[in-house]
Amino acid sequence: QVSVINTVDTSHEDMIHDAQMDYYGTRLATCSSDRSVKIFDVRNGGQILIADLRGHEGPVWQVAWAHPMYGNILASCSYDRKVIIWKEDNGTWEKTYEYTGHDSSVNSVCWAPHDYGLILACGSSDGAISLLSYTGDGQWEVKKISNAHTIGCNAVSWAPAVVPGSLIEQPSGQKPNYVKRFASGGCDNLVKIWKEEDSQWKEEQKLEAHSDWVRDVAWAPSIGLPTSTIASCSQDGRVFIWTCDDASGNSWSPKLLHKFSDVVWHVSWSITANILAVSGGDNKVTLWKESVDGLWACISDVNKGQGGVSAVTEGQQNEQ
Amino acid sequence: PTQVVPGADPSARQLCFAWGPAEVLVCETRFGRAGGSRSRSPSRSQSRSPSRSQSRSRALTGSVTDTGEGAPGSSRVFLVRRDQDIYIQTLRKLFNESHGIFMGLQRSEDELAGKSRKAQLVQVSKNYRSVIRACMEDMHQAAVSTRDPALQGQYSTQVSILSAMELIWNLCEILFVEAAAAGPLLLRLLDWVRLHVCDVDSMVREVLSSENPSKHKLFWNVVDVFVLQGRMDEARHLLSKEVTANPTSMNMYKILDDLMKKMPMPSLGNTQTLTELELKWQHWHEECQRFLQDGTFASNPHMESICKILVGDEDAILEKKELMTTWYHFLVTRLLYSHPTVKPMELRFYAQSSMDLFLGGESSPEPLDMILMAAFEFEMHQVIKECSIVLSNWWFVAHLTDLLDHCKLLQSHNLYFGSNMREFLLLEYASGLFSHHSLWQLGVDYFDHCPEFGRVYLELHIERIPLNTEQKALKVLRICEQRQMHEQVRSVCKIMAMKALRNNRLGSALSWSIRAKDAAFATLISDRFLKDYCERGCFSDLDLIDNLGPSMLLSDRLTFLGKYREFHRLYGEKRFPEAARLLLTLMTAHIAPCSFWMTLLTDALPLLEQKEIIFSAEQTYELMRCLEDLTAGNADKQKFQEDDVETTKVEMLRLALARNLARVIVKEGTVEGS
Repeated sequence: QVSVINTVDTSHEDMIHDAQMDYYGTRLATCSSDRSVKIFDVRNGGQILIADLRGHEGPVWQVAWAHPMYGNILASCSYDRKVIIWKEDNGTWEKTYEYTGHDSSVNSVCWAPHDYGLILACGSSDGAISLLSYTGDGQWEVKKISNAHTIGCNAVSWAPAVVPGSLIEQPSGQKPNYVKRFASGGCDNLVKIWKEEDSQWKEEQKLEAHSDWVRDVAWAPSIGLPTSTIASCSQDGRVFIWTCDDASGNSWSPKLLHKFSDVVWHVSWSITANILAVSGGDNKVTLWKESVDGLWACISDVNKGQGGVSAVTEGQQNEQ
Repeated sequence: PTQVVPGADPSARQLCFAWGPAEVLVCETRFGRAGGSRSRSPSRSQSRSPSRSQSRSRALTGSVTDTGEGAPGSSRVFLVRRDQDIYIQTLRKLFNESHGIFMGLQRSEDELAGKSRKAQLVQVSKNYRSVIRACMEDMHQAAVSTRDPALQGQYSTQVSILSAMELIWNLCEILFVEAAAAGPLLLRLLDWVRLHVCDVDSMVREVLSSENPSKHKLFWNVVDVFVLQGRMDEARHLLSKEVTANPTSMNMYKILDDLMKKMPMPSLGNTQTLTELELKWQHWHEECQRFLQDGTFASNPHMESICKILVGDEDAILEKKELMTTWYHFLVTRLLYSHPTVKPMELRFYAQSSMDLFLGGESSPEPLDMILMAAFEFEMHQVIKECSIVLSNWWFVAHLTDLLDHCKLLQSHNLYFGSNMREFLLLEYASGLFSHHSLWQLGVDYFDHCPEFGRVYLELHIERIPLNTEQKALKVLRICEQRQMHEQVRSVCKIMAMKALRNNRLGSALSWSIRAKDAAFATLISDRFLKDYCERGCFSDLDLIDNLGPSMLLSDRLTFLGKYREFHRLYGEKRFPEAARLLLTLMTAHIAPCSFWMTLLTDALPLLEQKEIIFSAEQTYELMRCLEDLTAGNADKQKFQEDDVETTKVEMLRLALARNLARVIVKEGTVEGS
């Protein structure tokens, strides 16, 4: 059973492109074609506008909350080629950094696992991916991967932080040797995996399966298994689940989740990675779960069978 | 089945979706942006980077041409939540108390074997059921006392759901946990029916409490109810009233009464074997049959129908459908009068035919019926599966499955993750608890008892608990520390330190960063403290700084802070030589940051100007060297030289140092062997 517990009237003057809850579900950030980013306090069913952030000169495509240990920080990216990082200081939200290094619309932003520090990956229509790292004192260091995807990059998603080898507690203060990875999807129909080696970002894998632009990629949270899982969706209507069984990250195999009748725009994993949400062109959000035999099933009603959630849709009033 | 989001615009819009920690976000949008339209090759003008001035207009046109329509769309975002049950106040007791029972079960001795273990498990099952019943009672009270019809409806629905849960659980207890054997099985089933088929209770009460029960129009109905439920004594008692009013039927009554009295029933103790019972029963059955065939009761249709029931005549029993109300009542009555020594494995046959006969093609089975049927067929997995589908939260299946698992009844049905059914359901249930502001604490315990994924699920969920108050943060921290979740401990401490810093609570921020073992942050905060000191001339949070102990070593800056405070303390206690030595060490051992040297040297001034000589010659030379290092290093800094205050300070210091040097040389030269 699904029920609407709150309807936030954002008063955006144009289409909303993204809405994201912060870590605790207490705040909601929305961004729109009206070029603004808004932040609401949604505790206890309320909706109080905390901030109306102006700074972009074009439709804002995505927002992303940083981990709360860095304070209240939000990143936004826009058609105006800019990435803006906003920060709350003494109760007011302000622009804390603006990145203008892209030549075209920035389509996606994603914060790295907090273990790596404060790092933001940005994917742009100019085909490049830039990584902004906070080095302290209001300073950000930029690394750019040019021509990551020909024609354009549409999505970026970080892999969860996993320390290679054993998981013994490191002596305090010493940073474990993380292997940083993220996935990107682009207009070259590819999903690529990038790995940091000697402070340089290198293309580690090229995952080919889609026949049209990849619109979104989502790396599943880790539940401690040695497998890694990535979901990708594309203009070709397909959603693939990619899994890699070995720790070295060498062999990825795709499994087709479903072929939809229209473009699939968005995929995202639940916190414990057991449900994948797919937003498609056919006006639906469907929720998927892997069943006993490794097949992905669209779970139809709340708590149906071994894990059930309803498919959320609108417009189809008469379906029971 | 699909779920409609109320209020969403039914026109062709797309839905954007995002996961929150507890809720999910849904908002109407239109995908397809400038630079990423549906066409395979976007026009050149779109993909090339637009110039500044162009971008503004292009942004607007871009979205319009892409979508093909001008309407901007809804500006609403829907927050949608699953599993609302945890928010129902009256169910709180269910969650809390069942948690206690669950924990008790996990900790209970597995070493107990055989009968005592079984008795223990049956008790656990009974405990769960009494919690359900208590909740039902509360819910019923709530329904009765509210004036709001909508609420009343809700409460009543909850009552029926709880009632159904208890019905199912009770049956599972009889068949699976207790695993009642032939004989006692029937008795248990009779109890079960008597407890749960309550539709006739009011009628029974009405007749019994009337002045002249035998004259009541529903009199025979009540007698029938008693017979159908195997309540022989009560039936006989009522019948006796009838015969006193109607002496003509005395003969018939005596025979019927005798038959009812003699009816062989299974017993709970070991007073007779099954074979003995079967024999006795067969004998009795034949006797009833004879009386019937002889036409003994021919003149009294009521009594005749009762006798027919006694011989297990299906049609006669079915005639009393309305008094039984359910097919499972019919099942048990059938068994009572045709096969009281039924074995557990034989139930399935009787169950299916009972349901078919009772429903008679008029109505189709409901979900509850299917669940009970699965239980009679001993298909445990089916029961769990069906319950998962029908019920709106995981509470029931999680706890029942856990209990069945402890009864060693579930084969390990390997699910995708390799974990079994029990763990799967517990994970789902506990995850649901985490979205509640206080019930999440119960969830922790459940995760603890999920050996494969409990820990990682806990790690992922506990990060999302809002740390609104220090108290809550400490609670979360304690949980993480107890389980050696070091990453989460660090994370919580860092978040709290950051919060404290934002609210200018430096002491709190410092103690959190120490707990987080976060050197960088500790340095940051120490700098703030020092900055504050420079500005205000005093320290805040002295207690904390004075009692740093070994944690002082976390960061150099922190060490300096601690030592610097110590210097002030020594000075305050007039332990000047010690203070002087410490001050010097702070600079020479490079514990103090260069930026602070000026302040330290200025702090040395009063020591230099004491009547008594504090700094030795060597120490004075050191101080002078420090001063020169400092001023030399700042040679490029224009500000330093132009700042009058600074230059005056430097001059004063040089003077004081020189004076001290002079005095001390004299002193050391004069005194013997110094």
